[in-house]
Amino acid sequence: MSGAPVLLEMRSITKEFPGVKALSDVNLVVRAGEIHAIAGENGAGKSTLMKVLSGVYPYGTYSGEILYQGTESRFSDIRASEHAGIVIIHQELALVPGMSITENIFLGNEPGRGGVIDWKIANRRAVELMAQVGLEEDPDTLIKDIGVGKQQLVEIAKAFAKDVKLLILDEPTAALNEADSQHLLDLLRGFKRQGITSIIISHKLNEIAQVADSITILRDGRTIETLDIKADGVDEDRIVRGMVGRELHSRFPDHTPDIGEVFFEVRDWTVRHPISAERLVAKHSGFTVRRGEIVGFAGLMGAGRTELAMSLFGRSYGTYVSGQIFKDGKEIVLKSVSDAIEHGLAYVSEDRKAIGLNLLDDIKTSMVSAKLSKISKHGVVDQVREYQEAENYRKSLRVKAPTVDEGVTKLSGGNQQKVVLAKWMFTDPDLLILDEPTRGIDVGAKYEIYGIIQRLAEQGKGVIVISSELPELIGLCDRIYTVFEGTITGEILRKDADPELLLKQMTSVKKAQRA
Amino acid sequence: MSRVKELQKSLFGGTTSNARQFGMIFTLVAIVLLFQILTDGLTLNPGNLISLVSQYSYILILAIGMLMVIVAGHIDLSVGSIAAFVGIVVAKVMQEYSVPWFVAILIGLVVGALIGAWQGFWVAYVGVPAFIVTLAGMLLFRGGNQYIGNADTIPVPEGFRTIGAGFLPEVGPNTGYNNLTLLLGLVICVAVVVREWRGRRTRREMQAEVAPMWISVIRIAIPLVVVVFASLQFAGGRVGTSFPISGIILGVLVVIYGFVTRNTAGGRHIYAVGGNARAAELSGVKLKRVNFLVMMNMSVLAALAGMIFVARSAASGPQDGIGWELDAIAAVFVGGAAVSGGLGTISGSIVGGLVMAVLNNGLQLMGVGSDRVQIIKGVVLLLAVAFDAYNKKQGRFSVIDSLMRPFRRDTPTGAESPAEAGQERGKSPVAG
Amino acid sequence: MRNILVRGVAAGAIALLSLTACSSERTGGDATATSGSTEAAKGFPANSLIGVALPAKTSENWVLAGDLFTNGLKDAGFQSDVQYAGSSTTVADQQAQISAMTTKGAKVIVIGATDAAQLSTQVEAAKQAGATVIAYDRLIKNTQGVDYYVAYDNFKVGELQGQALLDGMAKKKAKGPYTIELFSGSSDDNNSAVFFDGAMSVLKPKIDSGDVVVGSGQTDIKQTATDGWKAENAQRRMDSLLTSTYSSKTLDGVLSPNDTLARAIITSVKGAGKPLPIVTGQDSEVESVKSIVAGEQYSTINKDTRNLVAQTIQMVKDLQAGKTPEVNDTKSYNNGVKVVPSFLLPPMIVTKDNVVEAYANDPNLAPLTK
Repeated sequence: MSGAPVLLEMRSITKEFPGVKALSDVNLVVRAGEIHAIAGENGAGKSTLMKVLSGVYPYGTYSGEILYQGTESRFSDIRASEHAGIVIIHQELALVPGMSITENIFLGNEPGRGGVIDWKIANRRAVELMAQVGLEEDPDTLIKDIGVGKQQLVEIAKAFAKDVKLLILDEPTAALNEADSQHLLDLLRGFKRQGITSIIISHKLNEIAQVADSITILRDGRTIETLDIKADGVDEDRIVRGMVGRELHSRFPDHTPDIGEVFFEVRDWTVRHPISAERLVAKHSGFTVRRGEIVGFAGLMGAGRTELAMSLFGRSYGTYVSGQIFKDGKEIVLKSVSDAIEHGLAYVSEDRKAIGLNLLDDIKTSMVSAKLSKISKHGVVDQVREYQEAENYRKSLRVKAPTVDEGVTKLSGGNQQKVVLAKWMFTDPDLLILDEPTRGIDVGAKYEIYGIIQRLAEQGKGVIVISSELPELIGLCDRIYTVFEGTITGEILRKDADPELLLKQMTSVKKAQRA
Repeated sequence: MSRVKELQKSLFGGTTSNARQFGMIFTLVAIVLLFQILTDGLTLNPGNLISLVSQYSYILILAIGMLMVIVAGHIDLSVGSIAAFVGIVVAKVMQEYSVPWFVAILIGLVVGALIGAWQGFWVAYVGVPAFIVTLAGMLLFRGGNQYIGNADTIPVPEGFRTIGAGFLPEVGPNTGYNNLTLLLGLVICVAVVVREWRGRRTRREMQAEVAPMWISVIRIAIPLVVVVFASLQFAGGRVGTSFPISGIILGVLVVIYGFVTRNTAGGRHIYAVGGNARAAELSGVKLKRVNFLVMMNMSVLAALAGMIFVARSAASGPQDGIGWELDAIAAVFVGGAAVSGGLGTISGSIVGGLVMAVLNNGLQLMGVGSDRVQIIKGVVLLLAVAFDAYNKKQGRFSVIDSLMRPFRRDTPTGAESPAEAGQERGKSPVAG
Repeated sequence: MRNILVRGVAAGAIALLSLTACSSERTGGDATATSGSTEAAKGFPANSLIGVALPAKTSENWVLAGDLFTNGLKDAGFQSDVQYAGSSTTVADQQAQISAMTTKGAKVIVIGATDAAQLSTQVEAAKQAGATVIAYDRLIKNTQGVDYYVAYDNFKVGELQGQALLDGMAKKKAKGPYTIELFSGSSDDNNSAVFFDGAMSVLKPKIDSGDVVVGSGQTDIKQTATDGWKAENAQRRMDSLLTSTYSSKTLDGVLSPNDTLARAIITSVKGAGKPLPIVTGQDSEVESVKSIVAGEQYSTINKDTRNLVAQTIQMVKDLQAGKTPEVNDTKSYNNGVKVVPSFLLPPMIVTKDNVVEAYANDPNLAPLTK
């Protein structure tokens, strides 16, 4: 492949967000007709790089240059890059469920004149395109009536309708089952024969090893290396080493675990997806938490960690099928969030802004919002106590705000996270489930939050940390469960934990076992 | 911190919504003064103030309920029809079964609660959007009104009329004023002072910064001047008239609901649900119950408003309640609530309602026809909201904020990420 | 607007004064409250404010009346404030307008009520503030506060409508039985029943004798009512009557209480492709006069608004001069709590036969009849 001409070259791309350098001097070379994989941990900068390429972040908002088909390209928006034949297919499909396959394929790109769609042409071309991607369906079928795998194919057909030269697929198989994934990978190989170049971003390293010609590995917003799969004899282990290759230096405060008895146990937990009833998001999962223990949950995005946690937290996700929860040896039934809070559970969500906080609130209102009963009498909130309690947390967690009257929108991500932690510490929980507690937070604040987590454990509380950052889990947790497709696939003690082992257990079905 | 900044902060609080509220009060004062001049002093004359209160108290009562509905992220289009329905039911039971008027009022409230439970059930437990449920309710109860009343106008007895057309009675020595109204004014004055004093004590207990004494003096003095002036005006109306009973009902409701929304767990939950329903749910708020109660409460208040109007009109008629929902909704939005929920206060909505009421009344006093009054009100509502949206887009907070620019506090602490800014913009609050 | 502004600026100082010096109405109020009864013998200054509150502009008549009042009162030397209720919030609007007129110190308030039973509070307040209240065209119910009533004799209107219907049908078809339908006005309008009763006083004997048949059998005023006097409601009812009753039968005549509804009924019949029946009307609206000339609508009633407004203004002048206004009926119009002294004007039936003479003096309508 190395002999083929270069189709795309991105040179020293740097992209900064306020306070964060998402990409720093990244280089990417893609040759015509190859399948080029991009790998890296969550937050390594893969998606940002693709957004730069496709014009989501227009020319001028980043530095560096993009050479495409030999000339420098300055895309002002997605339309411009699509016009040049670069089409990106996102993980969340951009299809309209209530419209037909044909309508979706030509959405925004309708054949016809003067705004009047020529359905004859549209239908004929739709049939052609569907044949090209191997989609056997009536073109009038509505999107919502076909499976995710076929929807993915519609997305690709849509890309083909735009005369694609460079097809970018972001986690294309994340939501697909084994057979659909295989079909998609075969399809990619077929495109290669037709001379279409593809970039594939995937967490499934076995797929990369199987289908890609070359791979670029990103870490912390930098290019680590570009490898030729065949020439360099790259396998999964090699990729993992590249992805997690950093040293795990002391990013964690000192902490001596004082682990007590098992006080929390989940058995045979099975939950259905809230909408598609045939999908199980948790399958016969079971685990335990000891007093004073920090337990990690490792898994890829979409593995079902969040779903598992939320379904435990008062059934706030999915439909309960079976399973039991024991606390201090007694079975407890948590039918609502208030039940869960009453029994000493707390759940800090992964998405602070969407579901963790009311962004219209001020700090004090947020901090007491999960247990108003603690500071109210006959339903009337004692505002003096509210202020005092909030003020205590502001000081002890070192929330950077002048007073607790400040609106939470004005805080940085790290300080918002501290407010959310305070909100749940205020409920006096025995078990805290922290979902991605350091997502989108800078290094300094991360250190502080690790400290808070450790202090909670030292107080004898159980803490579950869900994280996509393996070093974080390894550095922080006493014990780690790996989760894959809703099943707990392994349990690893701190002393045995290393990224490669974790990644393998997180990514492969073969090693999946019923816990 | 300069004195001006300090004054602004402690008079109106540090939060943005309070700043907006100040803007509304400012607008209200400006409109009152404008019309006072344009109408040769008729606007603040006792007779006009009295009729202003009795004409708009029922709309303002609706605005209280509507504020809570809108804060929770819903809307209620059925209030006018519910008011008309309850009105006709109450008039009918008094006419046909000679039910005493106070029992009839209870019946009216119960009917309102039942209707509210009906609507709340669909909104909260079935999950039909409130817009649809109340649109259906609008038709349903309008039809119900006509079915029961045969589109007739049914008179109500004298006793019942008190809640809509009654005044504080004349008692005690002849002072040249209505004594009870003066007493009421005095009570409010005392309440203002006590409230400020208790506020200071609370701040001390919190070990929070207590505002300097001179600020407290201003915070007491301004309301006192207004209250004294108002009570003299209301007490000085024609003999037999004074502060309207419907105004007292309104006042009591404002105090109660103001307290509930600000200081109780239930009130907090309404804001939490409207601000971020999923976050509220994950904090243990019982979403369905909150939605149910908010919708139900609205209908009870609509029932009350309907009865007050019937009492004032001395009869229940087929055209009662038409268009009320729009007046109530306008009051709430002019008063600074956000279309997307989670923002807004009772007092803001009352001020918003008063702005619209004074505008209406002032234009009528000037002899402007109702066609043009409607046009002007429409334009004012649109501009109030549009100015705010425009200024927000320009990165400024709001029109009020720009009025307040000289007193502006420092820039917000900490940088906002683009996503946050976007989210804030999505919550575009409405103010004038 | 400019006038208002000039006045406003000039009055600024006074306004500010009245702001600071809390004006009490107590002393003045006592005097007017006691003297506020019907003996308005003392009169009032010739340039006083006269308020006129009319319903929403749903018919040409109200618009015309408003213009006539504005001009007539101005010519008589009064200040006038003529207001229409808003199109949706009619009752509440009118209440507020009457209160505003009272506040402004109107000496006489002329009210064409939107809902005659829902104004008692405001009328009484006006009365107590010293104003004389004249009910115009619609009698205000359940209040002592109304002093006079001016209207066309509405029972007579109904009689004329009923008679015209019979005459028209007889002219078209020599022998009965005739099939008819009945429409009445809005049930919240006091006059609707009066029109209807008047018409029925003529029609009822014929219905009883079988000469006239009401095709749908709907003879009760509740069944025939047209909510809010709205054309759309009449048209809707007519549409359904045509489908339910007249798919095979022929309809000979329709009793319509006014022109707006008559035209709606005619539109409905035309829409259904049926032969036009005899349709009565009232109010002499422009479109209906055209329709009569064209031979579609059979009759209307000429209750010349000019005469009614002129009579009302005459009463206002009498009151100003301290005289008791002339009335010609002191027994018929009981509003529920009192018999209101009334002045009734005689209405006139207009058909194609007399249309030219009837409107000879009307500058708007006369050209249409040529």
